Amino acid sequence: MGAFGHYLSAHFATLRLEFWGLLVGGLANGFIYAMVAIGYTLVYGVLRLINFAHSEIFMSGGFASYFVMKAIIGTSVPSGLASVGLVILGILVGGTASAGMALLLERVAYRPLRKRHAPKLAYLISAIGASYFLFNLAGKEFGRYNLSIPSPYINHTVFTIFGANVQMYYIVILIAGVIMFVTLDRIVAKTKLGRSIRAVAQDAETASLMGVNIDRTIALTFIIGGIFGGAGGFLFGLGSGVVYTMGFTPALKAFTAAVLGGIGNLRGAVIGGLILGVAESFSIAFVQAAFIDVVAFAILLLILLFRPTGILGERLGRSA
Amino acid sequence: MKAFVKRPFVSHLLTSIGAMAIFELMTGPPGSSTTPTAGFTGSFGERASFFGLFATYRFVVFLALAVIVSGVWTLWQSRGSVIKHGVNTGLARPRAAWQLKPVRTGFFLALFIFALFLPHLETDPYWQSVMVEEIAVYVLLALGLNVVVGFAGLLDLGFVAFYAVGAYVTAWVTGALPTPAPFGIHLNAFFAIPIAIALVMIFGVLIGLPTLRLRGDYLAIVTLGFGEIVTIFANNQYGITGGSEGTNAIPHFSIHLWFIHYVWGLAPVPYYYLTLAFVVVFIIVFSLLEHSRVGRAWTAIREDEVAAESIGINPLKYKVMAFAIGAASAGFAGVVTAGQTIFVNPQSFTLPVSINILALVIFGGMGSIAGVVVGAVLIQTVSMYLLHSPPAGYQSSDLYIYLGAALVLMMIFRPAGLIPSRRRRREIGMAEAGEGHMDEVLTGDTP
Amino acid sequence: MTTDRIFTVENVTLRFGGVVSLNDVNLFQNRGEILAVIGPNGAGKTSLFNSLTGVYQPQEGEITFMGRDAKPMSIIGRKAHRVSSAGVARTFQASRMFSALTAFENVKIGAESHKGFGVVGAMLKGPRTRRNEKESDATTIRLMDFVGLRQKANVIAASLSYGDRRRLEIARGLATNPEVLLLDEPAAGTNPAEKLGLATLIRRVRDEMGVSILLIEHDMKLVMSLAERLYVLNFGSVIADGTPAEIRANPAVIEAYLGSSADETEELA
Repeated sequence: MGAFGHYLSAHFATLRLEFWGLLVGGLANGFIYAMVAIGYTLVYGVLRLINFAHSEIFMSGGFASYFVMKAIIGTSVPSGLASVGLVILGILVGGTASAGMALLLERVAYRPLRKRHAPKLAYLISAIGASYFLFNLAGKEFGRYNLSIPSPYINHTVFTIFGANVQMYYIVILIAGVIMFVTLDRIVAKTKLGRSIRAVAQDAETASLMGVNIDRTIALTFIIGGIFGGAGGFLFGLGSGVVYTMGFTPALKAFTAAVLGGIGNLRGAVIGGLILGVAESFSIAFVQAAFIDVVAFAILLLILLFRPTGILGERLGRSA
Repeated sequence: MKAFVKRPFVSHLLTSIGAMAIFELMTGPPGSSTTPTAGFTGSFGERASFFGLFATYRFVVFLALAVIVSGVWTLWQSRGSVIKHGVNTGLARPRAAWQLKPVRTGFFLALFIFALFLPHLETDPYWQSVMVEEIAVYVLLALGLNVVVGFAGLLDLGFVAFYAVGAYVTAWVTGALPTPAPFGIHLNAFFAIPIAIALVMIFGVLIGLPTLRLRGDYLAIVTLGFGEIVTIFANNQYGITGGSEGTNAIPHFSIHLWFIHYVWGLAPVPYYYLTLAFVVVFIIVFSLLEHSRVGRAWTAIREDEVAAESIGINPLKYKVMAFAIGAASAGFAGVVTAGQTIFVNPQSFTLPVSINILALVIFGGMGSIAGVVVGAVLIQTVSMYLLHSPPAGYQSSDLYIYLGAALVLMMIFRPAGLIPSRRRRREIGMAEAGEGHMDEVLTGDTP
Repeated sequence: MTTDRIFTVENVTLRFGGVVSLNDVNLFQNRGEILAVIGPNGAGKTSLFNSLTGVYQPQEGEITFMGRDAKPMSIIGRKAHRVSSAGVARTFQASRMFSALTAFENVKIGAESHKGFGVVGAMLKGPRTRRNEKESDATTIRLMDFVGLRQKANVIAASLSYGDRRRLEIARGLATNPEVLLLDEPAAGTNPAEKLGLATLIRRVRDEMGVSILLIEHDMKLVMSLAERLYVLNFGSVIADGTPAEIRANPAVIEAYLGSSADETEELA
């Protein structure tokens, strides 16, 4: 008991020392997880299905934004208004490419199964197959080395909170995240598209009887999920670079975030992402680097065993 | 315009062109990080010949192929029923014969005799070691996963973990790992077999008890996670597992009992016969299992878990049983790998291997023993052949592009697999017609 | 002297989020009785069944089951398969058979599920396993004869008609050697001839096999002719109980049904 107590107190001391730095970093990661989690939660809401291939949707956004940034920025160092424009461009490019990939995926790997009313196991297997196909193809075409995205801004420390550096990177993520999440929330709550998504999520058969075009709604759901996934891919790439295997771990963590917040619940995805990001960050003070991923997995297992409906519960069908 | 696109030939043509474009990319030259467009321009712009008839650019060749394919496709849709009818009547006799037990047994017997003589027919040493390491071992792995996915309907994406545990336990018990085995025993690899299998089964039960309560899609992710954790553990616990280098000190199998003295050496052929013997044993045992009350309980749970519970079947018990039994087969595969190659390291036990095994089972026919054996042999042989003498446009890492595509295509066109199990094909047909409650396991919707 | 009660339900309340599905329900069933639970749609009848079989766990109250061995057992808190092993069998509102299996296999699975085990024996087809299988086969044949499905033993369950599916479910339930059989709307979707056959079968189950019957049904004629006692549920509460004659004359019951279809009210009278 003494040795364990020693271990705990030593690591808690580290935590207290690094608290604000870890918190800020964790929140930034959390926003990215939240963006990707939205893709999982939206598709689950309308199809009752986990889109295993979402990791490759994320990856497409990363690569697309990489190529565009490389072409435009090259080796220069943008600043000021140019930076703002470039960040927006990066998000748009990433989002569009991912949305396109998501549509393609829906068309090729899911729609044929839906038309035949295939058993759900078939969707899972098809998704895994699609995922493996896509990222290995990306590896073949783009090489297997990590590529860093030329930075569209100067990543200096903008200000400090209680001694923790808040870099430009974190500000970008925060602003982009807040804008995107609030916009989505308003879309789902107020617009016709949002209503049809909620209707299909609640009861697809009745929704179609009431005139909602199911195929179109599902396609749009994939598109929205894709946009968020792609934006996440770009932002993640800014920090960690892009590589053909980049989708696997972040997507798994984003899935954990979605379940943590309540699968099918949009606000839950955001909350889950933030909590997971911070929890992961704090655990750096306690476990060695290689085992950080295990922390996220442990959280997933605990949630699934003890509160599978998540923090906010499953409720895309109900009005937010 | 829309009407034009909707005309059958045109829509088939567009789809074929799309499919051919993807196929071109798959079989084309690779790109790289510095020249990312090289793959694309090469795939479409390189010169190739149209089946040796005339030389032109690749995209022309594939365009011509696309036109031909869509033509055939359109024809098939309008006139194909005659051919289909002919094929079905032609196949009716063999299909009916296949239902008879003596025919199936005869098939397996013939396969077995062929397998017995194979090492004498194929004497190339590369191929002989491949037969053991990559084919026979993967048949064992596919048989094991077939029990989990095919019989019990559990999507396990971390199956490679059992394979790994079997191999590492063998290394441990024969004293090849940095951490010594309890009581400092230094077992002979052959006698490690029962210990390894027992430990793998216990491991399977321990993992299964908490996770098999989860519904199907969550189970898939959680098993994937466990597979990853085993890999992370093996890679990082240098003191226990030898870290990323693993160990290469495993002694070969040998038996010294009574009058039997036999040492398996470096030659692959004796290992081949040992593995073949166990493949036969596992086939017989799993076949008996399939037609026993356990197999029937698995079918009931797969088809309608709620109804199964209402007649007294405990789903968790049977699911854990399936896990443990499947694990035993994988564990044995691990023992053979450890003994024959005398080294184990974490690189052999990664997630892509789980996906590879899954592809074998799905392609061959989940739930069908004959199917997965044939599927495993086919895919592994082809993939090893491609590795050995790769045609232009194939790099060794391309394998997973093809396996992934195969999974998607199988689900779209033939979900029951190459040699389907009768029951599974019926079940899939029922699910598609809206009958039954198979999907509740996956989505967790309760009555 | 207390009558031999096979089920005792005391103050049971079942909630789903904000919805109260069963509200302080009290009822009991005597051994050997044919008891019916009726009520308008959504009254909580199937929820009651699910609570009696361990599928739902009520938040309040007690459910006691008294098996043949006269040891009272609490149902709440037990898993569904344990409740089945204790001697409670049920059918489902929309027949849940194993549709890709034959009728024979469906019933056989029920017969085997309560037998003792031996995994290794199952794998190696030892002598005990073979004996058990012969017994299960014999039980299955006997029950299929009993419900009148012997001719259709090798038909794939999905191809059976509604009436036959009901019979198959009854046979499968009986194969588990139960003491009480819960039937959830057995006559739904059947024509008058099939209904008559079902009624006869249900009575035979009680008379010849000594199995108590607990029945949910909407068909008033069928219920009134079969049931010896009834409970009436509405909005999750018991609003009346008694013999068919008493229920027919009960003003609260008539009132509850006035809200539903005219036919049902007519049949009541």
